[in-house]
Amino acid sequence: MAANPTFRTPVVAQPTPELREKLEHMWSDKPGLIGWFSTVDHKKIGKRYLATAFIFLLAGGVEALGMRLQLAQPNEHLLSPQLYNQFFSMHGMTMIFLYALPILSGFSNYLWPLILGTRDMAFPRLNMFTYWVFLLAGIFMYIGFWNGKGTDVGWFNYVPLASRTYSPDWNVDIYSLGMIFLGISTTAGAINFIATAFRTRAPGMSISRVPIMIWGTLTANVGILFAVPAVSLDFFMLWCDRQFGTHFFDPANGGRPLLWQHLFWIFGHPWVYAIVLPAMSIVSQGLPVYCRRPLVANSAVILATILTMVLGFGVWVHHMFSTGLPVIAMGFFSAASFVIVIPSAVSVFAWTATIWTGRPVFTTAFKFFAAEIVLFVVGGVSGFMTAAVPLDWQLTDTYFVVAHIHFVLIGINVFPVIGGIYHWFPKMTGKMMSEKLGRWNFWLMFVGFLVGFFPMHISGLLGMPRRVYTYPAGMGWSDLNLVTTIGAFIFALGALLFVVNVIRSLAAGQKAPANPWDADTLEWAIPSPPPSYNFDVIPRVGSIHPLWEDRLEEQGDRTIFEPGAVLDHEHEIPGTTVLDAEPDVILKQPSPTLAPLITALLIAGVFVGMLMAMWWVALACMAALIPALFYWFWPTVETGWAPRHPRERA
Amino acid sequence: MSANVYDERTPPRPLPVGKAGYRTGGWWGMLALIGAEAALFAYLLFSYYYLQSQHAQTWPPTGLPPLRYSIPSTVALLISVATMWWAEHGIRVGRRVVSQAALAITLLLGIAYVVLQFLDWRIEPFLINADAYSSLFYAITALHVLHAIAGEFILVAMIIWSVLGHITQQRHIAIGIAAMYWYFIVLVWTAIFITFYMLPYIGPG
Repeated sequence: MAANPTFRTPVVAQPTPELREKLEHMWSDKPGLIGWFSTVDHKKIGKRYLATAFIFLLAGGVEALGMRLQLAQPNEHLLSPQLYNQFFSMHGMTMIFLYALPILSGFSNYLWPLILGTRDMAFPRLNMFTYWVFLLAGIFMYIGFWNGKGTDVGWFNYVPLASRTYSPDWNVDIYSLGMIFLGISTTAGAINFIATAFRTRAPGMSISRVPIMIWGTLTANVGILFAVPAVSLDFFMLWCDRQFGTHFFDPANGGRPLLWQHLFWIFGHPWVYAIVLPAMSIVSQGLPVYCRRPLVANSAVILATILTMVLGFGVWVHHMFSTGLPVIAMGFFSAASFVIVIPSAVSVFAWTATIWTGRPVFTTAFKFFAAEIVLFVVGGVSGFMTAAVPLDWQLTDTYFVVAHIHFVLIGINVFPVIGGIYHWFPKMTGKMMSEKLGRWNFWLMFVGFLVGFFPMHISGLLGMPRRVYTYPAGMGWSDLNLVTTIGAFIFALGALLFVVNVIRSLAAGQKAPANPWDADTLEWAIPSPPPSYNFDVIPRVGSIHPLWEDRLEEQGDRTIFEPGAVLDHEHEIPGTTVLDAEPDVILKQPSPTLAPLITALLIAGVFVGMLMAMWWVALACMAALIPALFYWFWPTVETGWAPRHPRERA
Repeated sequence: MSANVYDERTPPRPLPVGKAGYRTGGWWGMLALIGAEAALFAYLLFSYYYLQSQHAQTWPPTGLPPLRYSIPSTVALLISVATMWWAEHGIRVGRRVVSQAALAITLLLGIAYVVLQFLDWRIEPFLINADAYSSLFYAITALHVLHAIAGEFILVAMIIWSVLGHITQQRHIAIGIAAMYWYFIVLVWTAIFITFYMLPYIGPG
């Protein structure tokens, strides 16, 4: 049938206004509410991820400010102990699960197809599905907070405290089921990124020409694929212990509380790299643009990224040094934790050398990226210190560890993220952000961060335990805590200025050209904001810096933007080989559909039913998932199946 | 730039469209999904062996497991590997009816496994809340049954779509992807069978 031949030779041509009009008509969404709910456009999904994750960041930030007010002075009574427990648990859960990874998924969803020179992700419907599940799981995990049922035993939720005996109410049930629910989104997202990276790069983008930002996110998502099942299983077993009286963690009947900790940290430590490696790759991608030169030792940084992730699976026991494990195990995991410093240092030296040998332009984005290097070094050193078993025994569960986790997570996640927004905001919205407000934004956040979090090292060394809701006067902690609280509010003021800058720039920002920073990768070759189809003709990539080729004066291939493959039969993108990125298939991509939303809502129904022990609700939703998935995957000519024809005899 | 530059480097050649050919996006997606599911079962078995290693009394605490249903169910799954391969091979050489028959036999063998596992649960001398061993036993076998049922729905979809004519000799990758998942189900079952039904007989107990 002409509608879907088995083979076709792609037309290579110059883009024409007629072609653009045709593609715009094909790729744009339906108008109105249905269009909003049924879109599978990676750019819209990316922006929704960014906005939603940022709202969770603000929620987690408000919880943090509440804690800081409570701790500003000794013997305060602003928050009750029960409320304080919920504040610090919800804060950890929100920041680590609902902000840190989703915000990076937002960047990746928006940017990957643009950087890869194509029109969409490998699985557009799955992409939309991951967002809906993330949103619904986030709401699910927050539903109890308003009436005192927010999770309240810390984000790592240790048993036996988290068991039914000591936490009888819904708090831990909501957290447990919410984490399993959220894990569906994270895993599906990882699958999508992996397939996209290996399958849909523009022709010519061989493995050696893949920009570093792709490497960072790809590495993290391979890690996620193998790490998240551990925590989903852990929470599943805990929920079974609580709901059905199983004995996974119950020592009286053959279970072991330490099993919880093993599974949690087998997940937990790779997760740390999952939420920092993509952010580090944002720095590796953005910083060189402002240094006006390619990243120093690009290949070494990529290999170091992969090595960090691999080693990250072998260090989980350093979270458990004080649990009484055999000395030989602690020795091994301590050594592995020291080794991981080496690949991390490769990135730091490469960034520093890039600034050193470049001609830095001190934009706001540059400042955030450069600050990341400083904070990473401080956070890295405090991590290195606690990799030593005796020091860890002294410092575990003190504010020293709180300082460490905030230096690495704010330093290597929040700073690159804010810098990344300043860098890519013009591309995403077509508007420039204010550099003047940006300066205030940066310095308030940077100074506020150091004033707020550095003293925590000292209060930790002075013995202040984490997770206490108050402390007596005369311990030597009072002044340090007051300084910390002041710093936290300066930091929050800086974050507020960022929000102001985003809103102001959206409303009245200067119009952005296609490539305001004179950057090197493919997303800057198309208009700001990009049209719904991204590239009118698919470029053929000739190097890792497609837009800098003439200036770098390297020998070899050049990127060809036009003429390129036209691919204008409905939603089509080229599929290419893994290593050489030679086109070997024309992939047919789905058009907008409500199937992902319906599926996500039914899964939410399953979890609500499980939470409330209304088993018929859970079972009914599970049964309804079967027709929903049939609807999702039903073969159509448009998605590349054979046209339906009468039954043939063999 | 002239049009020739593009052409010289990669002369446009006919490419398979959509689900034609072997390596669609779905092939990668299934591979990655199998990676995550393999990790899930690896962590389940890790939990089992960890708790066994921490256990002071005899293991399993309730004595040796019954083999009356577990051996036939294992045999059914192992045969289903051959029938699944047959289904894939059949569509590849253009014998659609043979392929559909092989899919149906695979489906029946899969259903037989699920039924036999339910019968096995009925003759186990304990419930899920007896002790850590029983919790692990039911959690691991039930999660595997759930995955097998998901695989059976995929087989149903393959049969329907093949009968409707969407899966053809030119576009048969869907059956290849379903087969990958089914082989994985069987592979995981062999690990579970060895862990629960074989090692207690030959291990130190």
